[in-house]
Amino acid sequence: MSDDPDKVWPTGLTLKEAEEVHSYLIDGTRVFGAIALLAHVLVAVSTPWLG
Amino acid sequence: MASLRDTALRKIQTIGPRFLPFADVATEAVPLSRLLRLSLFQVTVGMALVLLVGTLNRVMIVELAVPAALVGAMIALPLVFAPFRALIGYKSDIHRSALGWRRVPYIWKGTMLQFGGFAIMPFALLVLSGYQEAADAPLWIGRAAAALAFLLVGAGVHTVQTVGLALATDLVEVEDQPKVVGLMYVMLLLGMIGSALAFGWLLEPYTPGRLVQVVQGAAVITVALNLLALWKQEPRDRARAARVETHPEFRDAWRMFVEGRTAVGLLVVIALGTMGFGMADVVLEPYGGQVLEMSVAMTTRLTAVLAAGGLIGFAVASKVLLDGRAPLDVAWWGTLIGVPAFLLIIAAGPLAQTSLFVIGTALAGLGAGLFGHGTLTATMRSAPRAQVGLALGAWGAVQATAAGLAVALGGVIRDVIAGLPGAGEFRPEAPYTPVFALELALLVAAVAAILFIRRRQARLFQTTSYTEPRQGRPDRPAASKEPQPRDRRPTGGEPHDDGRLTAL
Repeated sequence: MSDDPDKVWPTGLTLKEAEEVHSYLIDGTRVFGAIALLAHVLVAVSTPWLG
Repeated sequence: MASLRDTALRKIQTIGPRFLPFADVATEAVPLSRLLRLSLFQVTVGMALVLLVGTLNRVMIVELAVPAALVGAMIALPLVFAPFRALIGYKSDIHRSALGWRRVPYIWKGTMLQFGGFAIMPFALLVLSGYQEAADAPLWIGRAAAALAFLLVGAGVHTVQTVGLALATDLVEVEDQPKVVGLMYVMLLLGMIGSALAFGWLLEPYTPGRLVQVVQGAAVITVALNLLALWKQEPRDRARAARVETHPEFRDAWRMFVEGRTAVGLLVVIALGTMGFGMADVVLEPYGGQVLEMSVAMTTRLTAVLAAGGLIGFAVASKVLLDGRAPLDVAWWGTLIGVPAFLLIIAAGPLAQTSLFVIGTALAGLGAGLFGHGTLTATMRSAPRAQVGLALGAWGAVQATAAGLAVALGGVIRDVIAGLPGAGEFRPEAPYTPVFALELALLVAAVAAILFIRRRQARLFQTTSYTEPRQGRPDRPAASKEPQPRDRRPTGGEPHDDGRLTAL
């Protein structure tokens, strides 16, 4: 275990693998943010809350 | 000290992966409970279909007073993506990932698309209908937003279903595939029935706020169920991640998929049969109501009869396929049952025999169940392991397009005949009989096409030489016109079970 410098503690994933798992989280957050922004714009069109 | 540290690290290592979303090892036999959990993605697909085609269709026209033509166009939009299923499946086949994953990334992205579409959909529909201040907003905002919402949901559904089915195929042995197909169909049906009832009940006094709650609730349920479905399903594969593979372009992969086999013929059969069975979906209930003067409660029960017939069909198909029957035979029986079914339905109108109509409907459901199960199982078995995604993508592309066209065509034919000058003089069944007759013709064509494929298969089977088994494609004739170096095979390193060839 300690002989593989590519291992990330403590999950046993390599750096690349950990980065890939992380990228799904990041992508999900980005999509979520974009969708939330769009939803807010649409709500503002029908029921404006900023005057 | 060092040994203490090592022990601690080893302990932590055994805990760590438990909280990460991959299966530990590719086990030999996947337990039924895990397949049941995987099939939850079909529930979300069914829910999305019901919401788009059924619930929102009605809400937009009745409660939101959106013009019917605009509603029809919006609902047809997801169909635009259906042909891309083949491409999505191919992409997932060749996906490169440090984890060796091929399917999970696509299911996750498809889930996000589906979620995003549902999240903005209620607001988009409210703006589209000119709710409150939106009445003064430019028209394009509502239209573009609603179109985007429908496109997102459609793209998500196509992706999730295609890649989810590919994952299910990856996980089980060839002889267990009928079980999986049956499970997937049953879950789709249950998802559709359950969510149709739930949406109807939840939207019962309709308010705009309720619409937002219900559709966004569907979005959350989609993400929750899909995450639950794919958690720890696909094994991590370091060997695949490490392999340097060159993959054929989509065009070449497609050529490999169709060459020397009956893949295209099977797709034609799927198109014919799906259209033949699918056209009835929208005209059965009004036929019962207008021609046979059944009450609304009775025509609603018709849908239950159709679904029950389908469930029996799936069960029977699973049973006989697990016993070793050829999937194409099962599909053939399905179309053969469909022919008398539609004859009974056509005859029921002029004879005013409701019982004939109900029997015909049940038989149509049974035939559709057998046909759907048989053709999907045949598709799963038709491709080598490395092309499962492409094969299921092609199946989905043809199936979804044919079903969408069938529903549209059925409605259009009925409306055109009912709208002809002097239509009031016609018998009440006049707008419906041509639709059922067309279904009958399509099913007869499907029967003929299956016979043709079986003959061709028998011939291919005889002429194919097995003296030189080719890696990944033993079903390919030895004298191939475009020799490819072995290391360029996309199936590189994956064992191919020869049972697959005889299965189709």
